[in-house]
Amino acid sequence: MKKVFLVWWREYRSILADPGALLILFGAVVIYSIVYPIPYSPEVLKEVPVGVVDLDRSALSRRLIRMVDANEYVRVAFRETQLARAETEVLAGKAGGILLVPEGFQRKILRGEQADVGVFADAGYLLVYRQVYTGLLHATRTLSAGIEIRRRRAGGMAEGQALASRDPLALIARPLFNPATGYATYVVPAVLLLILQQTLLIGIGLLGGTERETSGIPPVSDPGRDRPAVLQVLLGKTAAYLALYLVYSCYYFGILYRVYRFPQRAEAGTVLLFVLPFLISVILLGLALSALFHHRESAMQALLFTSIPAIFLSGFAWPPEAIPGWLRILSYLLPSTAGISGFLRVNQMGASLSEVRFEWLILWGLCVLYSGLAWFSLARSTPVGETRDPNGA
Amino acid sequence: MMHNRKGVFRVARRECGRFASSPIYPLLMVVFPLLSFGVLWATFQQQVPRHLPVAVCDLDRSMLSRSVARMIDATPTMDVAFQVEGPAAGEKLLREGKAYAFVLMPHGMERDAKRGTGAEVVGYYNAQWLLPGSLINRDLRKVIGTVSAALELRARQLRGEMYAAARAHLEPIRVDSHVLFNPQLNYLYFLLTTLLPTMLQIFILLVATHSIGVELKEGSAGEWLEAAGHSVWRALVGKLLPYTVHFFVLGLFMNSLLFRYLGVPERGSILVIGVGTVLFVLAYQAMGIALVALTANLRLTTSLVAFYSGASFAFTGVTFPTMAMPATARVWGELLPLTHYLRLLIQQAIRGAPYEVSIPALLALLAFIVLAPLVSLRRMGRLLEEPGYWGRT
Repeated sequence: MKKVFLVWWREYRSILADPGALLILFGAVVIYSIVYPIPYSPEVLKEVPVGVVDLDRSALSRRLIRMVDANEYVRVAFRETQLARAETEVLAGKAGGILLVPEGFQRKILRGEQADVGVFADAGYLLVYRQVYTGLLHATRTLSAGIEIRRRRAGGMAEGQALASRDPLALIARPLFNPATGYATYVVPAVLLLILQQTLLIGIGLLGGTERETSGIPPVSDPGRDRPAVLQVLLGKTAAYLALYLVYSCYYFGILYRVYRFPQRAEAGTVLLFVLPFLISVILLGLALSALFHHRESAMQALLFTSIPAIFLSGFAWPPEAIPGWLRILSYLLPSTAGISGFLRVNQMGASLSEVRFEWLILWGLCVLYSGLAWFSLARSTPVGETRDPNGA
Repeated sequence: MMHNRKGVFRVARRECGRFASSPIYPLLMVVFPLLSFGVLWATFQQQVPRHLPVAVCDLDRSMLSRSVARMIDATPTMDVAFQVEGPAAGEKLLREGKAYAFVLMPHGMERDAKRGTGAEVVGYYNAQWLLPGSLINRDLRKVIGTVSAALELRARQLRGEMYAAARAHLEPIRVDSHVLFNPQLNYLYFLLTTLLPTMLQIFILLVATHSIGVELKEGSAGEWLEAAGHSVWRALVGKLLPYTVHFFVLGLFMNSLLFRYLGVPERGSILVIGVGTVLFVLAYQAMGIALVALTANLRLTTSLVAFYSGASFAFTGVTFPTMAMPATARVWGELLPLTHYLRLLIQQAIRGAPYEVSIPALLALLAFIVLAPLVSLRRMGRLLEEPGYWGRT
């Protein structure tokens, strides 16, 4: 047991003595958590510029344009007299869409005929498309409803009755768990978990690569009978990183969540119980992989590209139902897949441990699998005879 | 002049001989890029998420409620996978990750809808999963809108209105909506076109920094400079040239994968895309020179690469648009060649803009190629000449 603590302590000493490791295992954890949320910090996209082509030039068309400008999704950035000219502006990125009011718009309404308006939304950027489409549709529908209700009241209906009979069946849409449908609330929690995973894997790999590169002497070969056994190394190192990353978890999910005002519905205990197998499985995977790296920079070079596939495989941005089955199964080998899906449900949606038991068990399964691989990897880089340490763990 | 060219080619030949020296070259140049392309392609194969499981809570048990449930099930987006007794059970399914939404149809819905006294359907959807949530919200709106319009049309016809007049009264203003540039709203088009170059830039930058940095680390910089006839720029051009060719070919492969094989629309100029791709590769190589010059240390450079390229996607404005970002994030985005290249791809491929629209993007890429080496060439010269800078880890 003493040797476990010795390995634990030594791991911290080698991190502190190595500015490279410190940059990953401390610097990156803090820097990314501050920098990454910046682009998303406004949370919602508002007031997207749109162009207006008003061929009617009537009181009613001007009213519609005022209503477009007034709603929060879009604002009128320019007016054009030809659709083609407005489209050029959209191509140049100056607007996200166009509202076209054709000639005869007001006349048709006054006659009680159906009038058309054209909505052109740029789907080159999908979030822009959604806001423009929603904004223009919203303004038009509001005007349309106003006209119809006025007609009914002119026909002698009471206002409330006119309202209800206009739309016999209405949909009330209730967004749950991210009520403002904020973009940072959607992206950042998942990315925080990924940062924990990637910095752990790279940091552990960097230290492993350094040990192999600097001396060729395997990591745990203090000569003499004081040498710890593989199991002791495994336990000591795992405990060292786990303790460190539990502190980071408190910083992320305790402090940052409050700073960024993300909704949080979980009990601290449930979060801890879920984060535990996630961190342990990542650490063991890191120890298993570290045998592959022979240079200080190798781990970073080899693992850098994995962040983006890992985030899209985790199912938070792209629904897992849409991912082919074979890839879905393989993706569970990454702790982030079960980790992000389960964690978001626990922390953002207030799921109990039993409601995420599938992900929780997968993570423990990965702990078992990767502890075997980590053992193998550590044993390979440890001189023979060590596992026969008479003192045991 | 003859001498110059010899120096460049001698270094280039020397570089090709170095490929075999480390597994890092085949891995970062071929294996990992193709692996990441393959995984991302497989992930988004379905193009638009379909058959997302939703739950229905039908308290009305009427003809109308059953037909609403059938219509929800018939949308391409949703499958009614569960029938639940109450909202609590529905919300539990959301927390368990088994359903993305539940639709509540209250008692007396059919009766109220037919009387025109304001019947409601409540759609609770999980907005933490932003993409499925918004697709479900949109399609629920369509279903309920259709049902509501049909109910009212029938009521009006019963009152003796003609069909056309009834339609016009129902909706005084009809919205004629057009999707500009990505009519299928295809996520595969959008995400792969932006994610594959994001992967590519990671590898271009890693290989550029490794190939230069490793000469400093291993102290072979003198020999390298010798081969270049003691000209720093010839040493750099000769060294990076083989990788320029390789990554340009890989870039063309990526483009043909997107535009030929996957059918991403390619409405604009293939020439502009080709020129853009060369500049994109060169811009990242130029940034590679600057990053090595900044630190003179391969491991630290790799950390900078991780920061510069690993977190870049968020700042390019393809997910959360540039116009809504805070100024700091916007400026940082402009300092990434990726932002300009993705802008060019979206302009040329998805929107089919005339080539003039992409000139600013091309000029921006050119600026990286000219400025980054210009500011770092002198220091680079010192690094290659003075052994004091070599061997740093």
